[in-house]
Amino acid sequence: MWRKSKPYLLLLPATGTIVLLFFGGLFDGLLKSLGYFPAIGERQLNLDAYTNLLASDSFWDSLELTVRVAAISSLLAGLLGGLLAIALFLLNQYSEDENSRLWHRLFQLPLTIPHLVAGYVIVLLFTQSGVISKLLASVGMIDEMTDFPVLVNDPFGWGIILAYTWKEVPFVLLMVYPVLARIQKSWREVSRVYGAGNWNFIREIALPIMMPSWIIAVFIVFVFTFSAFEIPFLLGVTYPGMLPVYSFQLYTDGSLSDRPEALAVNIILALMTICLGLATYYFSKRWNVMKGWE
Amino acid sequence: MNTTISPLKIILFLLGFVIIGLPFIALLLSSLAAGWRWPDLIPASFSFRAWDYILFGSARTWQSIGTSLLIALIVTIVNVVLAVPAANALVRFQFRGKWLAEAILFAPIIIPPFVAVMGIHLTFLRFGLTETILGVVLAHLSPTLPYMVRAVVISYSTLSTERENQARMLGAGPLLRFYYIVLPHLLPGIAAGASLSILISLSQYLITFIIGSGQVVTLPILLFPFISGGDPAIGSAYSLMFAGMAILALLSLDVALKNYYKKKGVRSNGEGGE
Repeated sequence: MWRKSKPYLLLLPATGTIVLLFFGGLFDGLLKSLGYFPAIGERQLNLDAYTNLLASDSFWDSLELTVRVAAISSLLAGLLGGLLAIALFLLNQYSEDENSRLWHRLFQLPLTIPHLVAGYVIVLLFTQSGVISKLLASVGMIDEMTDFPVLVNDPFGWGIILAYTWKEVPFVLLMVYPVLARIQKSWREVSRVYGAGNWNFIREIALPIMMPSWIIAVFIVFVFTFSAFEIPFLLGVTYPGMLPVYSFQLYTDGSLSDRPEALAVNIILALMTICLGLATYYFSKRWNVMKGWE
Repeated sequence: MNTTISPLKIILFLLGFVIIGLPFIALLLSSLAAGWRWPDLIPASFSFRAWDYILFGSARTWQSIGTSLLIALIVTIVNVVLAVPAANALVRFQFRGKWLAEAILFAPIIIPPFVAVMGIHLTFLRFGLTETILGVVLAHLSPTLPYMVRAVVISYSTLSTERENQARMLGAGPLLRFYYIVLPHLLPGIAAGASLSILISLSQYLITFIIGSGQVVTLPILLFPFISGGDPAIGSAYSLMFAGMAILALLSLDVALKNYYKKKGVRSNGEGGE
């Protein structure tokens, strides 16, 4: 009896905490998004919040912005992170020096930077009067401050894209590099015997090996950006805001009657991330990705 | 061979400068600038006004750092206590419903935790948990616990039961076995989990804001007005301090772990090894 129930007892504190605080919160939010507010005498469940939301332009604008920003920033982070991984890998292959480890750690730095700080770095660098604009002016590429494009607090979301790309390049590197590091030195030698140059080696061996974990890394970045708050709150515009920002605006600025809609946005967001997460999990199991970095 | 190395190093160096160098130089210059006009590449004049203000001028800086660290510390300790038994069960037992336990524990990695926090907000209000440190600690648990569990699971899966069985035969009870055999083996995993847990807790803004309602002032809450259209010098100085605090927390954990192993190594040598 004890043997049988032991794992459950060991798991109880942790799962209990998550069930109570996390799933309890999700369920609480779901009920309230359905208009269940016993405190003000509302006990009828209805789908008003959802129908209002799906009929409003602001929801669809917000969703479009969210998908666009998440897609572009995850692709950019993927490209840069992949390039960096290959560059570090080649460096490691040719030279035995300890520098490549140092490089590796250095590039991990943005991972530890809090999101708000990452957002502010983008403000400092990319506003019309920012550092990049000053740099371009001092080499004579632009004459006026207004020649520099509006990249922060812009409706397209470039500022948010830049911030997330910066934050997530090290993450892609972290996921992909260990897979490349498993390539034996002897493979490189064998490939050279058969006359493969650097470029051939990268295309025929390195790229196919890193591809599954690269795709998973890009997908994870996509899901993370989907539920981002701090950076779009700082770098976005009032309208349209990314979904979490939109929900926060509804929750705090609106009246009590807007709250079910805010919570409905959250539930829709949660459902989307669950679907994306399950897809990621399925493919990572199928391609055996996680083995690469444990 | 040198011809293949140098362009690579140049590319890496340039990327390193753009990704790491430029942001920090910009933050540092901006925090020290006494007005930084376009198109000056270097501010015309420097002053320590912003640093003076945040370090000595405002008691709120140190209070907020204290609050941030206190919350991160409590959250991390609770996480360790919850995660170690859970990881033990996940690694060493085969039982029905294991996938469900895993799904529950790792769900907050995928589903954004602020969704749950906004949902539970009114309930917290009713129980008087809003505007309190306890409430914020509870809110920080679900975004951090999954990472701690994952880190400890990785450690547990490399620990074979043989040494524990040896200790059992020598008469060591469960507590002694845990303290002398399991815990030392798990420490690197716990430290990795603690780093993540501290880092995530320190950088929460939205969750702290919803539950703390502006009354629990952590560093990100204090920082926000300065970086969203406030004084850029002070915003930059606070940003550097915030980033520095996160990096310092990680480094000190790393050093503490290395020291622990050094001491342990010396002791087991003194006792004539194992």
